[in-house]
Amino acid sequence: MAGQEDPVQREIHQDWANREYIEVITSSIKKIADFLNSFDMSCRSRLATLNEKLTALERRIEYIEARVCFKSLTRVCRTFFV
Amino acid sequence: MPLVKRSIEPRHLCHTALPHSIKNELECVTNISLANVIRQLSSLSKYAEDLFGELFNEAHSFTFRVNSLQERVDRLSISVTQLDPKEEELSLQDITMRKAFRSSTVQDQQLFERQSLPVPMQETYELCERPPPLNILSPYRDDGKEGLKFYTNPSYFFDLWREKMLQDTEDKRKERRKQKLQDPHMYDQVYKYLDLPVQLKNIDRPHDQEKIPRAPHDRKKEWQKRALGAELAEDEAEDKHKDANGSARLSLSLCRQMYIDQLDGPFSLAALPYSQMNELLNRTGDRSYGRPHEPPPPPPTYPPASVISSSSGFSDSVTQSPARTPVFLNSNAPPPAPPPLPPPPPPLPASQSGSRMRGSAPPPIPPLPSHQPPAIPPPPAPLQIAPGVLHPAPPPVAPPLHSSPARGQLDKTPPTAGDGMVLPPPPPPPPLPLPGNRSSSPCASSGPPTMPSFPSGAVSSPPTHSGHEVRRYPSNLPPISDARSVLLEAIRKGIQLRKVEEQREQEAKHERVGNDVATILSRRIAVEYSDSEDEDEFDEVDWME
Repeated sequence: MAGQEDPVQREIHQDWANREYIEVITSSIKKIADFLNSFDMSCRSRLATLNEKLTALERRIEYIEARVCFKSLTRVCRTFFV
Repeated sequence: MPLVKRSIEPRHLCHTALPHSIKNELECVTNISLANVIRQLSSLSKYAEDLFGELFNEAHSFTFRVNSLQERVDRLSISVTQLDPKEEELSLQDITMRKAFRSSTVQDQQLFERQSLPVPMQETYELCERPPPLNILSPYRDDGKEGLKFYTNPSYFFDLWREKMLQDTEDKRKERRKQKLQDPHMYDQVYKYLDLPVQLKNIDRPHDQEKIPRAPHDRKKEWQKRALGAELAEDEAEDKHKDANGSARLSLSLCRQMYIDQLDGPFSLAALPYSQMNELLNRTGDRSYGRPHEPPPPPPTYPPASVISSSSGFSDSVTQSPARTPVFLNSNAPPPAPPPLPPPPPPLPASQSGSRMRGSAPPPIPPLPSHQPPAIPPPPAPLQIAPGVLHPAPPPVAPPLHSSPARGQLDKTPPTAGDGMVLPPPPPPPPLPLPGNRSSSPCASSGPPTMPSFPSGAVSSPPTHSGHEVRRYPSNLPPISDARSVLLEAIRKGIQLRKVEEQREQEAKHERVGNDVATILSRRIAVEYSDSEDEDEFDEVDWME
């Protein structure tokens, strides 16, 4: 009886070890996937704030340019309108 | 449930059927699972690369923007140090003529369409089944549409919205044009490009010959006037036109230039006896009922222009009539009911036009029929009607006419508006300028061509003649005996030709517009909220396209 159980038990034992090995691998794959998702989200949010700041800066600069150098602009406007 | 953007390929590691000829099944399963794990790792790496690529592209575009910003800041800092307050010459012209600052706002549009789908989702989409190939049936369709559009059309809602917007802009533009129709100055700028019925243009032409050479200069003059500020512009206009002698037309045209709202222009009937007026009105009323198939006919009772002291009066009445049609189509309720009442509202707007000419604040012009009763009792105090203008006939208005002699031009009118004046033929039923009503316009156009042929006829003959002509047309096959009917045939053909052209034009326009939400919206907003002057520029630009 012990002889019959032994190879089967050994196989089952081995199978469990393999499964645990596979489980470790798959859980680490899931961790990598999670990390990638969260990295993606945080990156996008940071880039979005950067984008906002850039557009705000651009608008301010346009305004200041218009205020400061209106002479060249009036020349431009006159060519458009007359 | 959110849409999955990226999914790792082999979802289940060991949900596979085992081959039968294996002795050690457990090991087999282990090996299969390990192989799937490797496949999962490969798809994971592929998605990671895609993800980092997207992030990198965004960040890269930011570097360009930041660099350009940096350059601009540097340039600005240099130019700021070079600023010298004494060098700057600020003239009034500069302040008013300069284009107002508008920051360039970029509108996000077309966010969720096929081309903007991210790559991994596109791959998922490619894996799906395609819709049935209904497009092979489209060559056999009559209406030229694609067969697949009836099964699935992703751009359906956008197309719907775009059509609605374009239609709204067209409607608004036509409304504005009708308002401007009373301004003979606008002929060269606007009327030429409109597909109005021929009579309107022809009638306008002979009377506007002296104004045509002026029209091209108008824009420059307007800008020059505005250069010195809006406050000074009105004074100039006043001074210019107070002195002009036969300045009936000029003052008229100026009045209209000042207007934005719908108006019925300076319009007056002679001081006819009330009975004669009524007769006139009733006759034209009959005429209106003789054309049953015309959609609610704008009450021709309305503009019985009975007196012209100058020929411009006639053109006034004709040009005013289309402007009145929208009002009467809307408020169709009492058209023949108060026949003597229609004339009084014209003096109201007339008075208001006059008052505007003087630069005073005009009362708002009331919509005509509904406000007629309250309009009449308060006699329009600044009744400044130019001598060439037709006067309101009915007695309630006549006393106010005489009671306000203080206004310079008014003095000329009461003596001239005598009973011995020749009555012009009643103006035609206003031809409907809307393209949708083209079917009725041939009938409407029958009126105007008959009108010019009776310039000074008695009142009785034109209405009956036109009545005859008009009653002939409902029968659809007039005997070609008159030269008039030949002319009318030609006109009808002309109108049909214009219809096709207009369709083609509209189609071309739609193609040109394309899918640009920003331009469509901007056009619509410009048409709705802009001033009439912006409207002019906008109109011209658009028509010139």
